[in-house]
Amino acid sequence: MRGAFKKNSFIERSLKGVFLVFKDSVLSEEQASYPGFLQSIDPRVKTATFLLLCIAVLIARNIYLLIFLYLFCLSLACVSRVSLRFFIKRTWVFIPLFSLLIAIPALFSFISPGEPLFSFKLFGLGLVITRPGLAGAVLFVARVATSVSLVILLGLTTRHATLLRVLRVFKVPQIFVMVLGMTYRYIYLFTEIVEHTYLAIKSRTGGLIHYKKGQSIVAWSIANLWQRSFKLNEDVYGAMLSRGYTGEPVLLEGFRSSLKDWVWFCSVAIIFVFIILSKIWMS
Amino acid sequence: MDELIFKLNNVHFSYLHKYPALCGIDMEISKGEKIAILGANGSGKSTLLQLLDALIFPHKGRVEAFGRELNETDFNAASFCRDFRSKVGLVFQNPDIQLFCSTVKEDILFGPLQLGLDRLRIKQKMDAIVEDLGIADLLERSPHQLSVGEKRKVSIATILIIEPEVILLDEPTAGLDPQTARHIMDIIIEANASGKTIITATHDLHIVEEIADTAYILNRQKQIAKRGPVGELLLDEELLKSHNLTHIHKHRHKDEVHIHPHQHIDHHQH
Ligand SMILES: Nc1ncnc2c1ncn2[C@@H]1O[C@H](COP(=O)(O)OP(=O)(O)OP(=O)(O)O)[C@@H](O)[C@H]1O
Ligand SMILES: [Mg+2]
Repeated sequence: MRGAFKKNSFIERSLKGVFLVFKDSVLSEEQASYPGFLQSIDPRVKTATFLLLCIAVLIARNIYLLIFLYLFCLSLACVSRVSLRFFIKRTWVFIPLFSLLIAIPALFSFISPGEPLFSFKLFGLGLVITRPGLAGAVLFVARVATSVSLVILLGLTTRHATLLRVLRVFKVPQIFVMVLGMTYRYIYLFTEIVEHTYLAIKSRTGGLIHYKKGQSIVAWSIANLWQRSFKLNEDVYGAMLSRGYTGEPVLLEGFRSSLKDWVWFCSVAIIFVFIILSKIWMS
Repeated sequence: MDELIFKLNNVHFSYLHKYPALCGIDMEISKGEKIAILGANGSGKSTLLQLLDALIFPHKGRVEAFGRELNETDFNAASFCRDFRSKVGLVFQNPDIQLFCSTVKEDILFGPLQLGLDRLRIKQKMDAIVEDLGIADLLERSPHQLSVGEKRKVSIATILIIEPEVILLDEPTAGLDPQTARHIMDIIIEANASGKTIITATHDLHIVEEIADTAYILNRQKQIAKRGPVGELLLDEELLKSHNLTHIHKHRHKDEVHIHPHQHIDHHQH
């Protein structure tokens, strides 16, 4: 029985783990209403500066610069009242997803030739990890980590309707913004249904599911969930149309920028210019 | 004759062209009327309301609203769309569909902002409605965390703030405690008294008398079985029973057991 219980908590972790982490890291809007620093910045200016920072991350070829940018991002989280533990935990859930698949092959000599660091045999294949390979992989992971952190921080400190509005201000085509909004809602509904389905399964089985059965329930529900959340998303779209939605996000408060926003913008611009210059100096 | 708001002529609709949901509906609804649409589960009540709200369009027959035939292409014109949406509001059966914003406040503001009403006016109206419905302390909450009754009230608030001429309500009192149901009925009645047309889909006979003057009964063939004044229809026991609208009632008075079909018209004045 204990065994069955343990396996069950495995299902609990896999379901809750993946979906709910995503839900409260990206979809949650709670932190967006905290009285922190980033929350008080004009969303237009904030989005523009984060865009600059992301470009800086893409340009920076120096690990120290990337570490600096990452620490900068963490301190921004601090002054925006985002719990550091929460933030770091949430971002590092996604980073392996993005980076390892690309970074790991790059370690090896057949992709990154150069001075061998150490070699081993896997499935009869001689593999050599090279110094440039390792350096490249570290740089890559640092880059992904920093840009993912920046994006998540922007998402955490801004309401999603506001972000969509900003995109419109930046002249992103309406159809694109509309699709983005739909995708967001679709994912939200999907996680919502996952949560409810999980509870429903738990209540019907009394919380104890045999390992094998648990697996088939997970497989069953994933297929089913796509369909259900698709239907729900369609219905919600109807509800939006019914209240006059035309694809254009509208907010109660207009955007207003103050001196503080411009000071912030200039600071980021200086960092940006510095990184560009350092790149020129080093080459 | 009063101003005609909806005119349906032999309307057919089926989901995916496979599952029929309405089969030849004729209706005429005038301004200021109180209408109930009664019928068993699956008889097409929700579908009919969505049709009246121009979220779906008939596959056969025609729907006229405000003297003009509704068709899908007209809704591509922003001005027509805005005009229609601000005149007709639908409270969905499932509040989880109706409420899609991240806070109650955003949800209430969504309609009027989309329809481009004046922002100051919107705020004032919100304060009044929120006060009236007793949901002021929910404004910053996420709609998904609320109880069924709270969700229902918020759903109604999202429509009332648009001040539509026609309010369509899909099972507005389902799952509510008697006092909350009463409150919502009072709001509906009050809206009607101020000249709004109210169309309610329900199978709750308790509320029909008060929130409707005229009732339509939909049958399992997804057609209108009968239309008539509510008082008359509620007395027709056979009709109600054949449409799953009454149940056998068993209760005890002074050690005597009564068994009779549930009739709501007399309010159990034993
Ligand atoms: N999305 C859909 N796809 C296929 N069939 C549907 C869909 N929605 C409704 N139906 C079918 O259309 C018919 C009418 O459904 P509708 O929801 O309008 O009934 P209703 O009178 O509102 O029922 P209830 O009292 O349960 O709310 C039903 O037979 C139902 O099975
Ligand atoms: Mg229904």
